[in-house]
Amino acid sequence: MKPLDWVVLTGWLIFLVCYGLWRGRGSNTVNQFLLAGKTMPWYAMGLSIMATQASAITFISTTGQSYIDGMRFVQFYFGLPLAMVILSATAVPIFHRANVYTAYEYLEKRFDAKTRALVTAVFLIQRGLGSGVALSAPAIVLSVILGWPFQVTLLIMGGLVILYTASGGIKAVTWADVQQMAVIMGALILSLIIAVRLLPPDVSFLDAVRLAGAAGRLNAVDLHFDWNNRYNLWSGLIGGMFLMLAYFGCDQSQVQRYLTGRSIGQSRLSLLFNATAKVPVQFFILFIGAIIFVFFLFERPPLLFHPVEMNRVEQSPDYPAIQAKFNQAFDQRQAAARHLKDAGDGMSRQAAIAEFHSAQKDLDCAHREALKLAKENDTNYIFLSFVTHYLPTGVVGLVIGVIFTAAMSAISGEINSLATVSVIDIYRRHFQPAASDRHYLRASRFATVFWGAYAIAFASIFARGFGALIEAVNQVGSLFYGGLLGVFILAFFLKSVGSNGAFFGVLAGEAAIFCTAAFTSVAFLWYNVIGCLVVITVALIISYAFERDRAQTGRPLGS
Amino acid sequence: MERHSAVNDEQRQILDEPPPVLGSWPRVYLFVVCYLAALITLFYLFTAHFAP
Repeated sequence: MKPLDWVVLTGWLIFLVCYGLWRGRGSNTVNQFLLAGKTMPWYAMGLSIMATQASAITFISTTGQSYIDGMRFVQFYFGLPLAMVILSATAVPIFHRANVYTAYEYLEKRFDAKTRALVTAVFLIQRGLGSGVALSAPAIVLSVILGWPFQVTLLIMGGLVILYTASGGIKAVTWADVQQMAVIMGALILSLIIAVRLLPPDVSFLDAVRLAGAAGRLNAVDLHFDWNNRYNLWSGLIGGMFLMLAYFGCDQSQVQRYLTGRSIGQSRLSLLFNATAKVPVQFFILFIGAIIFVFFLFERPPLLFHPVEMNRVEQSPDYPAIQAKFNQAFDQRQAAARHLKDAGDGMSRQAAIAEFHSAQKDLDCAHREALKLAKENDTNYIFLSFVTHYLPTGVVGLVIGVIFTAAMSAISGEINSLATVSVIDIYRRHFQPAASDRHYLRASRFATVFWGAYAIAFASIFARGFGALIEAVNQVGSLFYGGLLGVFILAFFLKSVGSNGAFFGVLAGEAAIFCTAAFTSVAFLWYNVIGCLVVITVALIISYAFERDRAQTGRPLGS
Repeated sequence: MERHSAVNDEQRQILDEPPPVLGSWPRVYLFVVCYLAALITLFYLFTAHFAP
């Protein structure tokens, strides 16, 4: 990075933190701190929800995934609009009318204290793990790219997040996210424009798209159904819908965003805004990865994008042979790409495609051999390697700054929700039920600092061992979301189910998910469906067998 | 008591405001579902057109 990049990076970080602190001023009651006084407009909530999802992972991992595996990951989001519609029609009005701080508070109104406590514990475990992943993964990547010690990167990111989240609460988090989302989109568009401009003069944008397609990188929709295939239309629509229902309907980090809305309508609009914008945005981000792949058809990529691992591989006696094999395969692939570009339809095109795939196979083979000598995959370093080596001065600082703050956005939402649940569902419910508002405000700030410190500690201890970030985060989530979703479906729709049915249903659902993960190769998106169905089935059986009398006098929906 | 329920009705009316477009929430939901179907169709055509 050049001095101008450092100025842009530092300036952006300072601006964002100061802006968050400024917008979060006046958060001096619990309601203001945790729910922004229920004053948020739909666009702020909608952009904040999107910014939290479009975290550093979006930049670092999604583009890399598209480079390696094509655009099929977009199917993961196909269930999101359906989930948003269902939640807008059901969860949003129920939570608003129940007048709760947390989604789990509602469960006690509907079932009992033990169900609320169990689901609270599931959330704290799942989100606690998630916050560590969300902080550590981008911190590792940024520390490698910037050449900073990992702990320093971690402390800067974590410290800045704690500063504005503990000071301004959800209002600071939301408004900081709004600013960030605008800059994220700007940086992404700029990255694509520059990637296209960096292509050789004889390669047009359309040529680049055709080459990406021929290389199998534009595989956005796969209609073939396969339980073990992570991303196809059906796993995206069904599994993805269940995951998104759980994420946006039962995960406090998202529920809290739309509980800050000044009306049911505003909260609905924020979710429906995401329903329409998220899939195209994700398609666009994956498309950038595909274009970067085309860029590296004509520009020799490093054997490994991970600079530290590349240095390690260079020390190996096997390195010269692997590098030579890689270079030869690259030259063949480049020649094949040119043949493919110039080939018309018919036999010559088919021959060029076969030549291209043969060279790509050799290149992948050399890459895999290099990865065997390395300790870590390099998928998460592809986009950042492109940014730092090929984007102009100033833009590099901006993109790195955006990635920094994108990571911070995800963490701020998570520690804010963890603090809310800790104070409302545990501290106020079980230890100090009748303290003053000022007391709970102080407790909320303390809990925010605690969870921020926890995320930093977790990240520094378990820093290594996560693969592509986005999958790690989603896989951790999928272990728990099915159980959470199941209990909320019981609460919203199945009046006949009593508290014991719900409680043991959640336990059975979680057991089913962990067994599926441990003993089968079923793709993780289906864990949500399996867990949810087991919760509902077991809860219905228990309620029918043991709770029939009590369930008939159960509390009504939404009361 | 009547005043109390009038206040509740007023609050509920504010909370349940109609959408800014399309007149009712079910119509907005239908629009989102149709939009998703159109998007998936477009992506499928995109995939098929550029497939190797």
